[in-house]
Amino acid sequence: MGVLGQDIRYALRSFRRAPGFTFVALITLALGIGGTTAIFSIVDGVVLRPLPYPQPERIHRLVRVNARSTDGSFSAADYLDVKRDTKAFVSIAALREDIIDLTGRGEPQRVPGAQTTGGFFDVFMAPPIAGRVYREATDQPGAAVAVISERLWRQQFGREAGAIGTKVRINGTPTEIIGVMPATFRHPVVADVWTLSPLEVPVSPVPTDDGLSSRDVQYFMAVGRLDETAAIGAAREQLKSVGARLAREFPDTNRDRTFDAQPLAESLVADVRGALWILLGAVGFVLLIACANVAGLLMARGAARRRELAVRTAIGADRGRLMQQLMTESLVLAGAGGGLGLLAGAWILQGLMALAPDNIPRLNEVSLDWRVAAFTLAATMAVGVLFGLAPAMQASQPELNTDLKDGGRSGTTRTGARSVMVVAQVALALVLLIGAGLMITSLARLQAVDPGFRTTELVSVELLLPQARYSEPLQRQFYAGALERLRANPVTARSALIFPFPLGGSNARADFEVEGQPERPSSEDAHAELNMVSDGYFATAGLRLIDGRDFTVADGPDAPPVVIVNDAARGAFGGRSPIGARVNLGTWVTVVGVVSDARRQSLDTPPQPAVYLPYTQFVMPYMGVLVQTGQGAGATALVVRAAVADLDPELPIGEVKTIEQLISESTGQPRFRSFLLAAFAALALLLAAVGVYGLISFSVAQRVPELGVRLALGASPWQVFRLVIGRGVQLAVAGVIIGLAVAAAAARLVGGLLFNTSTTDPVIYACVSLLLLTIAALACYVPARRAMRVDPMTALRSE
Amino acid sequence: MIKLSSIEKSYRHGLSQTFVLRRVNAEIRQGDFVSIMGPSGAGKSTLLHILGMHDSAWTGEYWLFDDPIHQLSAKDRMRVQKQHVGFVFQSYHLLDNLTVYENIDLPLSYRDVKKSEREGMVADILDRFNIVGKKDLFPNQLSGGQQQLVAIARAVVAKPSLILADEPTGNLHTDQGKEIMELFRRLNEGGTTIVQVTHSQANAAYGKRVINLKDGWIVDEN
Repeated sequence: MGVLGQDIRYALRSFRRAPGFTFVALITLALGIGGTTAIFSIVDGVVLRPLPYPQPERIHRLVRVNARSTDGSFSAADYLDVKRDTKAFVSIAALREDIIDLTGRGEPQRVPGAQTTGGFFDVFMAPPIAGRVYREATDQPGAAVAVISERLWRQQFGREAGAIGTKVRINGTPTEIIGVMPATFRHPVVADVWTLSPLEVPVSPVPTDDGLSSRDVQYFMAVGRLDETAAIGAAREQLKSVGARLAREFPDTNRDRTFDAQPLAESLVADVRGALWILLGAVGFVLLIACANVAGLLMARGAARRRELAVRTAIGADRGRLMQQLMTESLVLAGAGGGLGLLAGAWILQGLMALAPDNIPRLNEVSLDWRVAAFTLAATMAVGVLFGLAPAMQASQPELNTDLKDGGRSGTTRTGARSVMVVAQVALALVLLIGAGLMITSLARLQAVDPGFRTTELVSVELLLPQARYSEPLQRQFYAGALERLRANPVTARSALIFPFPLGGSNARADFEVEGQPERPSSEDAHAELNMVSDGYFATAGLRLIDGRDFTVADGPDAPPVVIVNDAARGAFGGRSPIGARVNLGTWVTVVGVVSDARRQSLDTPPQPAVYLPYTQFVMPYMGVLVQTGQGAGATALVVRAAVADLDPELPIGEVKTIEQLISESTGQPRFRSFLLAAFAALALLLAAVGVYGLISFSVAQRVPELGVRLALGASPWQVFRLVIGRGVQLAVAGVIIGLAVAAAAARLVGGLLFNTSTTDPVIYACVSLLLLTIAALACYVPARRAMRVDPMTALRSE
Repeated sequence: MIKLSSIEKSYRHGLSQTFVLRRVNAEIRQGDFVSIMGPSGAGKSTLLHILGMHDSAWTGEYWLFDDPIHQLSAKDRMRVQKQHVGFVFQSYHLLDNLTVYENIDLPLSYRDVKKSEREGMVADILDRFNIVGKKDLFPNQLSGGQQQLVAIARAVVAKPSLILADEPTGNLHTDQGKEIMELFRRLNEGGTTIVQVTHSQANAAYGKRVINLKDGWIVDEN
């Protein structure tokens, strides 16, 4: 310990005496470790951290699967069969997201909620922080009780214990608050209020004739807790066997489909997991480049310390002792870099959280805690060994006789290992730059996609209706009244109703069967995107009517049911004109028009077959209004709020967004990924440039006598300039060649995240290589200029 | 104490070979004070570094006490060197980042001497060399003579039986040089064997014997 303490003390002192070296090394390490820490904390919070419940690995999401896809939505009858016949789960529950209007206590509030079945809290086993939760064994379906979130408890009740037992009106129904869940209870959906369904399944938003026996309408999700004595394999077998039985008994709806279970933690983040690991890998590259940079600095420092190390050897230090001291210095440097890195990580994380799109799941669970600190510590130690080992091995073998004689000035310059470091840095930077280049190109192409609808001067306003207060006729009546009032105002004269909003993330679909056409195998997609609209929607949104007519006021509730299909749906009509054909969407409807295609799911999903139903015949309580206006979101919201208040003073309006916001949000994840990768690549480029600069600078300093001789023998300053630049570019070319090979292999990993962009796009590879070579040449410029100005007389005298 | 037999050192340049030392045979007894002299390039420092085991690329036989240095592994040579040898350089070679105290302490820490013992030994040396007041200064705060004094203190602190000095007064003015040579004389009188490389007849006069080298050969020994 005494020797170690001594080494640490000497290390600190020597760093203090070399402030330039220490500053550059610490900044480099802080950026590398900070970036890695920040991304790791996101990966940890989103992907790695277990859900905050007892035995979280036993909580699963139940899903429906066929040969091609996995679907998390259940119908009532399927769910009830699974719940009854699957014994491996100690509890199974169903839930669906709900919009809750909370009244009876201050201002009316609209909050996100979840309507669940009685066993919901049995699955999660999370204790409430106040009161109690409802349970399958003790609470009857439909009991007017609710559990609220810690956030709502704090905001509405000031965390008073008296909140428990209070009666509030939830969607118009007097309901007793029985408990409060902790802030960490946010799965599988974020909610402020959990209510108990009156049925054994959540209530359907769409009226169904067959209620609990329906297998057509899938609208809620199911979760289950695995029995402690059961293995997941057994549970999956049971689910499969229920699926096989239902496929036999109900081939119309269940053919080729079965059931499965996925760990809930995995299913929540399935969409972002791959991208996050890639980002962690990318920032790991930055850390490696930082290590190579610091290793290069240490080697240069080692060269400058050859006299000192020779003296230490001469007075008795063996190689192990020198290695120990040099490694202690590296670890002290890494420790300081790690400390700064943790601070930088907290700062970078704050920035990332502000930039991250809202739709990254579990993002609220991201924090810099002991797990992240442990990771940073481990990374710091690994980094210390990584960047310290090669320089220590090199420096601990002094050429004693020479080094003592002239302080190492005339010994071998030993830039070989540093050159390897620089080549590695350039190669790693190139890989990151190509990754960023691919992502940015992909994003640009994605943003240039024509979505098929107007992309400016459109404002969307959600007009969700609480089902408890609004029956189907009342919903129709409300929406008609709202539309009438809006069209009467010049600001909102061009308004139309729509469910769902384009690029809003809805997955509403319907079975799609054309009368007289052969039935398609169920393995093929026989679905169409389901939309409910008002007359005038197509003109407002900018879709073209290709054939037939738009909806009119004549398409009322009592008129024959009609539908408009899009261009992509034409294929299902066997080459005939769709106009006049009948389509089965659960009920038979007649096609009266064909409109142009529009992308609804996302910009990178090609237009799918879609059907548009008039809201007057098929209404949903989730409609919204789309307004074509040049007045902006604020003015539009005012008018909509007034129109709604005129109809229902207790009804708040939902989110107000411009079409630009909807498009921007839909590209949030690719934009975030591209931004991060571009930032890492820029940092890598900077570090690589510093690495090239450092090596060439050092090499020029070492070669001053040689350059002096060259100049004395008649070399022109430009020849010396070219000699120095040439050396740097030579290393960069070697790095680029290796980097291109690595990038071509690594780019396959990001292939799934790219839109219309080849992972081996030659233009991107060429441009990025050229950029890197130019930067490397620029990094050599200053030392090359210095080399040009070497005075042969001074250089030779110093020799 | 030291027996050298047919020590040779050479460098190869392609097919040709340049000799730095040729068939050097010498014997140095315990308590000797030997000066190695000769013109520049004669091989004086090379011979000293071979004696100090800083150089291992040579042929011949070198015995130090009962240890056949020519047969020892690098590790064993390091052990023998730590046990017997102290080195003084012309340019002092104090470590700039360490104080006077820490510089003197360093050889002891490399010999795994316990901290409590080291403190006593360093305090004793500081006292003997009369540099207690300078113990917290850094080398750049000392004059050349003071730096060489510290360097000698560092060389003797581990109580070596042999001190090798490479032109120890080469960078000092006359008065400081005399002081250092007096110090070597006192150390020698105390029983320490001293081998120095010097160009100065006056310094050589402090010793008991002179070995003259020329072009790598011993040309004279008295």
